[in-house]
Amino acid sequence: MSELSNNYFVSVAEIAAKLDQATHIAQQLSLTASNARAVALRAGERAAGFRPLTDFIDRLAEITIKSSKNINKLAAALSQTSADKERADSAITHFNIVFTKAKDSEFIHSLDEVFERCQKKQQQLNQSYKRQIFRLSDELAMLSSELRNAVILATLSRVEASQAGIQYQDALINVADNVEGAASKIKDHIHYSQQMVSILEEY
Amino acid sequence: MKTQKLFESNSHTWLMFGRDDEKPNEIIDTNQYIVISNKNALLMDPGGIELFSAMLSAVIKQLPADKITHLFASHQDPDIISSLGLWDQALPSATLHSPWIWESFIKHFGMNNITYSAIPDEGSSLKIDQVTLEFIPAHYLHSSGNFNVYDAEAKILMSGDIGAALESVDAPLYVEDFDEHIDKMKMFHQRWMPSNEAKNDWVRRVRKLDVEMMCPQHGRIFKGDNVKRFLDWFEALEVGLVSKAKAEA
Repeated sequence: MSELSNNYFVSVAEIAAKLDQATHIAQQLSLTASNARAVALRAGERAAGFRPLTDFIDRLAEITIKSSKNINKLAAALSQTSADKERADSAITHFNIVFTKAKDSEFIHSLDEVFERCQKKQQQLNQSYKRQIFRLSDELAMLSSELRNAVILATLSRVEASQAGIQYQDALINVADNVEGAASKIKDHIHYSQQMVSILEEY
Repeated sequence: MKTQKLFESNSHTWLMFGRDDEKPNEIIDTNQYIVISNKNALLMDPGGIELFSAMLSAVIKQLPADKITHLFASHQDPDIISSLGLWDQALPSATLHSPWIWESFIKHFGMNNITYSAIPDEGSSLKIDQVTLEFIPAHYLHSSGNFNVYDAEAKILMSGDIGAALESVDAPLYVEDFDEHIDKMKMFHQRWMPSNEAKNDWVRRVRKLDVEMMCPQHGRIFKGDNVKRFLDWFEALEVGLVSKAKAEA
């Protein structure tokens, strides 16, 4: 896990990148579900208990992909807001230097209007930023909660795999491992993103 | 940052801003110029982002910000116009005059409010109040789309990188001994200017103008006979060189 970047707009881009990885893992999870379905079909009656589980794996993959994509969009929008915010903050900083350096100028007040406009823009961006952070945080919590089901799903899959007979047992246990592994990796990315988001909330 | 008056008449004033002793050492010193007419002003090559606060502070001591209705960027380089994103906030109603070929490039510096007025290759003129300013083609000197600004009344040519010299911030404003000055600008012209043909074309064009003062974006201003000396020297100089320029520098 890398350190949180000193620049919040870089951190937001890093979150977007992390969640992009989560989407790819979720796509692999979807492949795992297809594979599991094929194995369960071949195993016939002995894997009858496993077949409904493949639907759950599918659903988990689907939810994760959908949510990851949504989070990705939110993170991308937040990334844009952060870059705009950085630019607005920079303009305010520059104007403040001018107000100090040229405070005695008879024309200094000719900057008042643009300065007020910049401040207003900065406030709007701050509000958007907070709103987007909140939505991102919410969406991450929802996905994290969905992924708790993956552990149960993996456990159930192992139980059903043990009933499928020696020929198919290993393949189905492998499916369970894949589900657990993928969910665990995605959870790591989400956890990392949640940590970053909680720090970003302070900006 | 120092401010120097170069010309004054009933209709307008030319000011130069530069020799910024507070600028970070790593960035090249630049000269900025402004033409102030009755109700408007044209700020030329306003400079890099690092210079913005110093530049606006200097400008605001001379005129109200909203009087700057026009900006000019001779070409697309960062030391010329990377401050655009901030000027865009300071002067939202202004128009930026710049070579047409750089429009979609320069906008990368951030331009949401300012209007871009594309200068065609053959040049154009701008009238602000009673003052007419000519955008004189100076392509490939050094940028492939590049203009100077000429004021026939003031007899001033803002020559951008042509005539530039790499000097310290405490260098005098005017070239005093032309021969001594050659060393400070030779490598710059040989290395940054790529085309002898473009150079000679520009020299022919400028010889037809009545120039009393030639004002580059870096270094010192050429006055009177030194303008002609520069044109003669530049005409004879072979440009577009790398190794030779380095070896002689």
